[in-house]
This record gives sequence, C-alpha cells and structure tokens, in this order.
Amino acid sequence: MNPETLLFLSNLLTAAILLATPLLLAALGELVVEKSGVLNLGVEGMMLIGALFGYIAAYNLQTITCLEELIPGFCNKEERVFGFGDYTIALIAAACAGAVLASLFALLTQSLRANHVAVGLGLTILGAGLSNSLGSNFFGVNYTSVQVADHPDVFGQDILVWLSLLAVPLIWYVLQKTRAGLVIRAVGENHDSAYALGYRVTRVRFYCILFGGAMAGLAGAFIVLVHVDWKEGVTVGKGWLALALILFGTWRPLRVLCGAYIFGLLWASELRLDNLFPAWQLEWKTLLTVAPYVFTILVLVIISRNPAMIRRNAPASLGKPFNPPS
Amino acid sequence: MIHLEPRKHTSAWTNLRAIMLALLITALLSVLVLFVMSDRPTDAIWQMMTFPWQGRRMEVQWGLVLQQTAYLACIAIGLSVGYRANIWNIGAEGQFAFGSIGAYAAYLILGSPDSAYVFPVLILAGILAGCFWAMIPAFLRVTCNTNELLTSLMLVYVASHFLTYLCIGPLKGDPKAGQAETYPLAESVRATKLISGTELHTGLLILMAAFFLLAAILLFTLLGYRLKVAQHTPRAERFAGFSPKNTVWLSFALSGAMAGLAGAVYLTAETGKLIQAENYLENFGFAAIVIAFLGRLHPLGILLAALLISYVNVGASYIQASLRVDDSVADLIEVVALFAFLGCAVLDNYQVRFTSSRKAVTT
Repeated sequence: MNPETLLFLSNLLTAAILLATPLLLAALGELVVEKSGVLNLGVEGMMLIGALFGYIAAYNLQTITCLEELIPGFCNKEERVFGFGDYTIALIAAACAGAVLASLFALLTQSLRANHVAVGLGLTILGAGLSNSLGSNFFGVNYTSVQVADHPDVFGQDILVWLSLLAVPLIWYVLQKTRAGLVIRAVGENHDSAYALGYRVTRVRFYCILFGGAMAGLAGAFIVLVHVDWKEGVTVGKGWLALALILFGTWRPLRVLCGAYIFGLLWASELRLDNLFPAWQLEWKTLLTVAPYVFTILVLVIISRNPAMIRRNAPASLGKPFNPPS
Repeated sequence: MIHLEPRKHTSAWTNLRAIMLALLITALLSVLVLFVMSDRPTDAIWQMMTFPWQGRRMEVQWGLVLQQTAYLACIAIGLSVGYRANIWNIGAEGQFAFGSIGAYAAYLILGSPDSAYVFPVLILAGILAGCFWAMIPAFLRVTCNTNELLTSLMLVYVASHFLTYLCIGPLKGDPKAGQAETYPLAESVRATKLISGTELHTGLLILMAAFFLLAAILLFTLLGYRLKVAQHTPRAERFAGFSPKNTVWLSFALSGAMAGLAGAVYLTAETGKLIQAENYLENFGFAAIVIAFLGRLHPLGILLAALLISYVNVGASYIQASLRVDDSVADLIEVVALFAFLGCAVLDNYQVRFTSSRKAVTT
C-alpha cells in the first residue's frame, strides 16, 4: 500500500474511534439498565447534560498562562494546559451530572411507578432544555470564544477509549459470572420472582439506572472534550443510536462493541466522502448526513426479522411496570 | 418511610385530586425555574403569568396562544391514539415536516396556481404525506417487528435533513434570502385571516375541526372503545377479535395524518414557503408528546394541556423579549409539568402511607 492510502485509512480509523467511543459508552450503560428490566429512553438527555457539565468543568479547570502581552490586560498569545487530573475531575463531573438526571428517572419510574417511555422522553427534552439554557447562561449565545485545551492522551488514544474497551469484558464478566450480575439479570427477567426470592427489585434497578446515567454522562463528556466543541444539541441523536445499538447487539456487550465500531467506521467514511469529493454540491452532502439514521433503521429491520434471537436475549420484563404485592 | 398501598376504590375525585396536586407542584417548580433563570425573578414571574395583559394589544398575544394550542392539540390527539395501545410514535416532528413538503409538492405539481380552490387540495396532500411518512414505521413494525419507537424517531432526522436538502437543492428559491428557502406560495392559496391584527386564520378552524372529529371518534365510537381495550388489557384485545396489527396501522395512520395536517396548515398559513429545517420546525412534534401525556391521553385533557403549554411557550418568548430570559425556560416548565403529572398519576391507583418503621412495611 502506498503511504497515501495508509494515511487515509489511519485517519478513517481515528475518526471511527472518535465516533464509536461515545456510542459504546452510552450503549454499555444502557445495556446494564435494560438487563435489569428498565427501558430508559433519556440517554440523549443524559449525554447532553454530561457534555455540558464536563465542558464547564474542563473550561474552569484548565490553566491559562499568558505568553505574550503587548497591551496590558490583553493577551495576544496564550497557553492552555489541561492536565490529567483536571481531565479526570471533568469526567467525574460529567458522570455525576448524568447520574443526577438518571436518579430523577429512577425516582419517577421506580418509586412513583410512572410510565418508562413517557419519563424517558421527558428526560431527553429536559436534558436538551437544561443544557441549552445553562449553556447559553454560561458561555453566552456565541460559543466561539470558548476553548478547552487539548485532552491528555494515553498510548496515543484518549483514556476513555481504553476505558470503554475495557468496560466491554468487565460488564460481560459482571453480568454473567458474578452474583451481582445474576441478581440484575434475575430482576430483569422476572421481577415478581426476584421479589419473591427477597431481592430488592427497586433498589437493584435504581443502582443500574444510576450506572447507566453515569456512563451516558461520560459519553457526552467524550464528545465535547475530545471530539468537537460544545454547541446546542451537540450529541446529534447519538443517544438514540446507542439505544438502537443495544437491539443490534441483542443485549450482549461484545456484539454492542462490534456494532459501535461498524457504525463508527461507516459514519466516518460518510464524513470522509466530503474530502474525497470536494466538488460535490452542498445539497448532496446534506442528503448524505441522513446516512447514519437510515443505516440504523436498516440494521434494526435486519435484526428484528429474526425474532427468536431477540426473544432469547431480551430481558423478559423489559419496560413492564412492577407492582410489588403488598 | 413512605409506602404505597393500592387503592380499593378509585373515583373521578381521586383523579382530580392527583391532577390538582400535579398542577400545584408544577406551579411551585416553575417559580423556582424562573427564580434561577432570570435576573429579576419577580418581574419574570409576574409577566409570565399576565403577559397577554402586559402589552397594549391583548388580542395579539391571545391569538398567538390559541394558534399554538390548535397545532399542539391536533398533533397530540393523533399521538394519543397510539399511546393508548402502547404503540409509540414519537416521530410526529418528521410527519409534520413531510406534511408541509407534501402540500408544497402538490402546489408545484398543480403548476403553481393562483386560486383559492387549491387550498383544500394542499391540505389533503399534507395529510396524505404525513400519513405516508408514518406508514414507514408502521409497515416495519407489522412486517419485521421492528421497534417502532426508534424507527419513527430516526425518520425525524431523515425528514428534517430532507427538508433542508429540498430548500438548498432542487426547490431553492430566492438566493439572496438570508436562509435556504423555497419560493413562496401564491397569496390566494394561503389561509385567510379571520380577525385582522391577530394570528387567527382559517387553517386553525380546520385544525380544531379535525381535533373535535377525532375526539368524538375516540370518545363515542366502537373504535375508541377498542383502543381503550388495547390500552388496559392487550390480551383481551385479541380475544375480542381486534387485530393488534390493525391497531398499529390505524394509530400510525391517524397520528401521521394529524401531524401532516398540522404541517400543511403551518405551510399555508404561517410561513407560506418551505425553509431549512432549523428555522422551519418549532418542535411541535416533540411538545405534542408531552401534551399527550399531560392530558392523560384524554381529548379534553389534551386540549387543556395544549392551552397550558402554549400559554407557557408564548409567555416564555414574551419574557425573552422583555427581560432577556432564555426561552428554553418554556422547555423546562414543560418537562417539570410532565414529571409532576406522571409522578402524581401514582395517586390514581395507590395511596401514600407514612409508616414509622421499616418493619411495618414488610408485614
């Protein structure tokens, strides 16, 4: 292969990793939630909130030193440093923000037994509204002046990339091989039996929902800290794609990983087409942006044509209301 | 320790009490939201509540509120049909966009006529286009058992990008305009104003007529009863000989048609031309989901909820202009109301009991 193709491929892969990691993180979190029998449709909202809080934290934590000051009080050339500790704190802030929003979902659906779908949709609207209003309060309407320094790398990739890859076997192990995983799955398969056996269904689900929220928050933080800058609606429907990914992966972490990277590659190549064909008109590029969504629909159709596979892996009491006998 | 206990008797009074409590919580939390979001909270709260009486012309503000109410109620009642039967069409935004596109396409196919008789044709085309767009998730659900919730949402993204594509591509109008848009419809095709000085027009009458027609169908016919059966006991639906597949088709067709109708009316009455998606779509489709739940999927409730949310929306844009409060306040209040209503719905079927110790719960 000539170096040009090689460079192109490596660029493609980098872009694919950037697109796949948030999908993977959010999907893994939601996978645990769904395994416990809860359908949280608010992933998009939790990602947006996580993104905003991660960005605000990073913005405040970075150290800005002025290198050149020609006019006093006006910096011509500045250096922005964003250390590893700062990055970790920003990520924790994002995860907490996601978990706080998720706890609202848990309170409404678990304690007050509200409809999962309705609350999940509300959570998405809440996340979008809250992040927009807080974002414009914090950064002003014009976001161009805000800069967050580059994130620190580990082995050439962002730490979250490695974390997300590590989370795949970890979640598989916990769900399949440990007692905690067994309880989660039992609660998700049949909450009435699990309750009869003495497991605290509501509490187990509460923890799972919090975990899902934290992962979604991390996914959002990855988007704004590593990939693109904060703007309104920065997640462009990635939360929903993560939900579709779980169906694609039939609730199995490894398949979700494969799905996320296939998706990332396809999305990245769609974005690269712009560079390959610069002569293409804007209108065609606009039409091409629907590719990820159309692809998701196609994948969902193909997967759900095989109902046996879904039935074998789907948690049996997913999204069903739980009314403990009293 | 708080403990929920199933109610032995439920009545209209217990439901009403839950709704009143939800309204109270909404009001309190909305005040809190305004306190956080604005620099002059007392002014903001006062103006938000009384904005129609603030300016010199009350009818303008009320016109705006009623206009939004019509759109939102119309889309929401369409959505409520499916939600009653646990069929989740959350893509009303896309069906709305396609309704507009269909109406504009019909206008072009007819050769851009300049005659008022074309108006009903455009409306019909909008209904059909919205219906068509909603048929896609319904078809996938029925034939391939695909999750209709995700597909209908994905189709929103597809529809909005398609709208933008049309505006910057094949249907591009005046290149000097600040935004991508098509050429406007002829003036005679557009909906006519009912009361000058307000935003009320004939299109709103059509929307309200459609709303009351569907409300009557849902409340007083066998079809409505059938959907009610599907809502409460899905198994009974099958025993009674109602086909779940037909319920899917029906609810998607109705919700798509209502959203398409709203889209067509929006095109002919408000904008008169297609504009790129960011500037054209006002999230009516998503707000309608909230309204369907706020109204507890009941036509009367939906109408009242639509009125409330429109009042909040118009109020938010009013205080955005007067007090520079960000208008996402409206979104926040909307969600606060949704959560309060969903949370309080538990009181319909359960009684809250305060018990002193955990032991008392387990016994």
